[in-house]
Amino acid sequence: MSIVLRLAWRNLWRQPRRTWLTTGAMVFSNVLLVFMMSFQFGMYDLMIENTLKIFTGHVQVQAPGYLDDKKMRQTVADIVPLADSLRTGLKSNKVAARGITFALASSEERSYGIMIYGVEPGFEPEVSTVPGLIIEGEYFSGIAAAEIVVGSVLARNLKVGLGDEITLLGSGVDGSFAAAVATVKGIFESGVVDLDRNIAEIPLQFFDDTFYMQGAGHQISIFAADLNDVGDLQIDVQKMLPAGSNLVVPDWNLLQPGVRQAIQADMSSAFFMYFVLVILVSFSVLNTQLMSVLERTHEFGIVMALGLRPGRLGRLVLIETALMGLMGMLLGMLAGAVVTLWVAQVGFSIPGMDEMAVQFNLPATMHPSLTLFSLTTGPAVVFVFTILAACYPALRMHWQKPVEAMRAV
Amino acid sequence: MLRVLFMLAWRNLWRNHRRTFIMLAAIGTGVWAMIFMTALTRGMVDQMISDGIKEMPGHVQMHNPEFRDDPSVNNLIALDDAELAARFEDAEFKAWASRVRVPAIVTSERDSRGVTLLGIDPVSEREMSFVNYDDVAGRFLESSDDKGIVIGEKLAEILETEIGKRIVIMSQDPDNEIADRGLRVVGLFTASTSATEETYVFMGKKTAQKMLGIEGATTEVVFLGDDYRNVDPLYDAVVGKVDGNVEISRWYDVNTYLGTMMGVMDGFVLIWVIVIFLALSFGLVNTLVMAVFERIREIGLMLALGMKPGSILGQIVIESMLLLAIGLTIGNVLAVITILPLQNGIDISIVADGMEMMGAASMLYPALYANDMILANAVVLILGFLASLSPAWRASRYEPVEAISKV
Amino acid sequence: MTAVSCIDLCKTYRQGDQDIKALDHVSIDIQEGGFVCLSAPSGGGKTTLLNAIGGLDIPDSGQVIVAGTRIDNMSKGDLADLRLRQIGFVFQAYNLIPVLTAQENVEFVMQVQGMAANKRRDRSFAILKEVGLEGLEGRRPAEMSGGQQQRVAVARAIASRPALVLADEPTANLDSKTAGELMELFKMLNELHGTTFVIATHDQRVMTFAKRLIRMLDGQIVEDIDQRAA
Ligand SMILES: Nc1ncnc2c1ncn2[C@@H]1O[C@H](COP(=O)(O)OP(=O)(O)O)[C@@H](O)[C@H]1O
Ligand SMILES: [Mg+2]
Repeated sequence: MSIVLRLAWRNLWRQPRRTWLTTGAMVFSNVLLVFMMSFQFGMYDLMIENTLKIFTGHVQVQAPGYLDDKKMRQTVADIVPLADSLRTGLKSNKVAARGITFALASSEERSYGIMIYGVEPGFEPEVSTVPGLIIEGEYFSGIAAAEIVVGSVLARNLKVGLGDEITLLGSGVDGSFAAAVATVKGIFESGVVDLDRNIAEIPLQFFDDTFYMQGAGHQISIFAADLNDVGDLQIDVQKMLPAGSNLVVPDWNLLQPGVRQAIQADMSSAFFMYFVLVILVSFSVLNTQLMSVLERTHEFGIVMALGLRPGRLGRLVLIETALMGLMGMLLGMLAGAVVTLWVAQVGFSIPGMDEMAVQFNLPATMHPSLTLFSLTTGPAVVFVFTILAACYPALRMHWQKPVEAMRAV
Repeated sequence: MLRVLFMLAWRNLWRNHRRTFIMLAAIGTGVWAMIFMTALTRGMVDQMISDGIKEMPGHVQMHNPEFRDDPSVNNLIALDDAELAARFEDAEFKAWASRVRVPAIVTSERDSRGVTLLGIDPVSEREMSFVNYDDVAGRFLESSDDKGIVIGEKLAEILETEIGKRIVIMSQDPDNEIADRGLRVVGLFTASTSATEETYVFMGKKTAQKMLGIEGATTEVVFLGDDYRNVDPLYDAVVGKVDGNVEISRWYDVNTYLGTMMGVMDGFVLIWVIVIFLALSFGLVNTLVMAVFERIREIGLMLALGMKPGSILGQIVIESMLLLAIGLTIGNVLAVITILPLQNGIDISIVADGMEMMGAASMLYPALYANDMILANAVVLILGFLASLSPAWRASRYEPVEAISKV
Repeated sequence: MTAVSCIDLCKTYRQGDQDIKALDHVSIDIQEGGFVCLSAPSGGGKTTLLNAIGGLDIPDSGQVIVAGTRIDNMSKGDLADLRLRQIGFVFQAYNLIPVLTAQENVEFVMQVQGMAANKRRDRSFAILKEVGLEGLEGRRPAEMSGGQQQRVAVARAIASRPALVLADEPTANLDSKTAGELMELFKMLNELHGTTFVIATHDQRVMTFAKRLIRMLDGQIVEDIDQRAA
């Protein structure tokens, strides 16, 4: 260890309580930062994944304008062959075509307006969690079957069970009156009341026949292998669209702007909080280092009188701070990692959070996920601010006159 | 005696003015952040709740016990309009109204959508409605027998319809026969979220009852009280006036998300305040430890002269409390002067869809509550008092002889 | 009447692996109105003895009686009260509370005693005048010379009219002229108010002012001289 380092280290332990308290402030904030960030980014990923997995997918193929207006006649022509060719082109099964409309669903006793999704029974399970949530019955037997899968609340409200019939009344793509009768094949339950109450799925060909789609549909939902590959996927899909088509390929940011923005809103408030924490730690460090410099004014005066440059003393102060900052960073990361991993193990839930969680498609018990990013970012920023805070005490040395300094007690 | 202690504490506080200023800056920043952040989130949640309540509307609602799970025209309220009027006419509610609320489909020449049909008496709902009647493009409904329909602007856009055009509304009657009727769009309302504009359509109550074949009957009665934070008196009053097969719910029973938001918000405020305090406490304790350490000899002297250890402890605690009190003042003043200019709202419409997902609007009105400020100040003072006990206790435990001879 | 009496005081300190007898069977009686110099070389046990008399420290064995009360078995709180009401202290240095002015320092003990403000004020003015610091009442310790500071300390020690003033090497940090002046002051106050003074010193010139000179060495009294005759 160089002499300066050793000197700095010893100086630090002249006032062990003070050094520990200042380090303690860093450790406290670092633990909070590591935990919160692990929690936060883990939560964001879940929020995105869970929201997109219900129906949306990473990207979709749609007619222009459909995204904003969702009108029946904003269709993608020949949607099934197009979905097929995308599957071949992308070498992925995570591609499924849909038709979507509103219709009045009537049972013997009740009628409700609901959203009808026409789906490809073979591929829908690849892009949506809904088929996997069936609690009674099963998914469709074929693409043209006159069958329907409804949400559990809807089933209860319509007072229908498996095998019962539901009449669908709506309007076809040309505005004409459309009606069909479908047999309840399955009942799904997502736990999200809005979904379970308002949605039903029918096979795509049956949808086509009922609503006079003539081969057209409304969206093709596609998943990339990973959220990070969405950009590439978007470009690939764009290339595979039939020449001259005006179809658009919005990604999930456009499809679900709420998710991104909810994350942004949450992030800005979180970063405000982090920033405040970091600033408070900086004040703590500034205070400590200023005190430690002021205490040593006399001592510094003597060494300056002996011919040491103020710059070297300033550097000494910075090295002391850096050592303390390093301690705070390492201990903070260690403690932060331990806390985070432990909570990741046992899970974390606040009373009342399940209600909130549902709103964002999150599970009621959350598990923070420790990543290199969440582990290092907070502590690194705290470290940088620590050094910045020590600059004033370190620079004070430059305008200190040795004689005056020596006179100080 | 206390005066001596205060004087000593006060003067000692300014002995090392740099340290005191840094601490004041830290406490001021911390307290500012506590209050500022709290006011913003409170503002957001308040808005969410008040919008949510307006959309319901009312603080207390009455339904058929089956209705909330199965919002169908089959689940009518056991009391018909005449009977409701007899019971509530002279009750001292701020406002109340009975309404027909059923799911329906609207169809234009272009498209159709699922909506919630509200058959209302526009006069009795004026005060509670999320629609400001005067801001409606065209006109709002004028009476229960109004033959027009009022829909949201967003819905009009989707249906490609406009004022003066006819749309068809379709639902079921109690016998599950299709009940439908063409109505002229007479007004377009705007709301804080587009989901609201897409969801609700207003018809005259009697017109709706006639269409659905339920003359005189309703599915929902809504009651407005004075304070959404304190709905129990209203709830009790309503419960006291009805009997029979009805369910009476408070707003937070109906919208549990909003209900928990309010509780979660209180928890958040407390946690945030405590976290900030903890971050501050290291600096505070550090400062006190330093102050005591520098003054060991004086403390020894005072003890030697016959001052009681308790007074030494008091002196340090008072010094700490003075520091906190000044810091709190700075923080509070900062908070007030930064929040006041924002009273007219902060435009956060860049994340409007995200806020909508949370159920919030795209304007943020900070809400500075005396209670939150008191909480922040009290937490800082109480925890600050506790944090200063340890250094103060140490100071008071010095042996005078040893302390005096310390260099 | 006896102001202080010590009977067979012993106090042993452990330094490293050896025991140091700071007080070795010390017995003395000091009469009211006495002006006693306690003289010993450094390490002779002066401070230990003064601390025992002043109730700042408790001897291992023996008795200390101040103003007729036994104090070696008192509780800490009672000792603090005793110091507050019966004893004035002057230490070698750092006698004053830095944040208080000269006058406030003088009033400090009276204030802690709970004396009325105007009474305190009158007394502190009078005493500061007596010790020759008229006009410096508003100065803080840092704004005064060492001699002035010690005068303030003396003024504080006698202001509350204690039965006994203990001074531990009060002149150690002063030049000899100032030291002489301070001793003159002690003597004057002793004669004026009849306050008992016990002054520890190893300064040869200070001892000449004493009415009674007690010499100590290694914790034992080796000589006890009445200097009034001389
Ligand atoms: N707290 C202590 N711990 C250990 N030894 C002490 C302590 N206080 C005094 N002594 C020792 O006791 C002896 C007498 O000390 P003291 O009464 O201070 O002498 P004086 O005041 O005459 O210089 C010395 O040898 C000194 O080292
Ligand atoms: Mg001594």
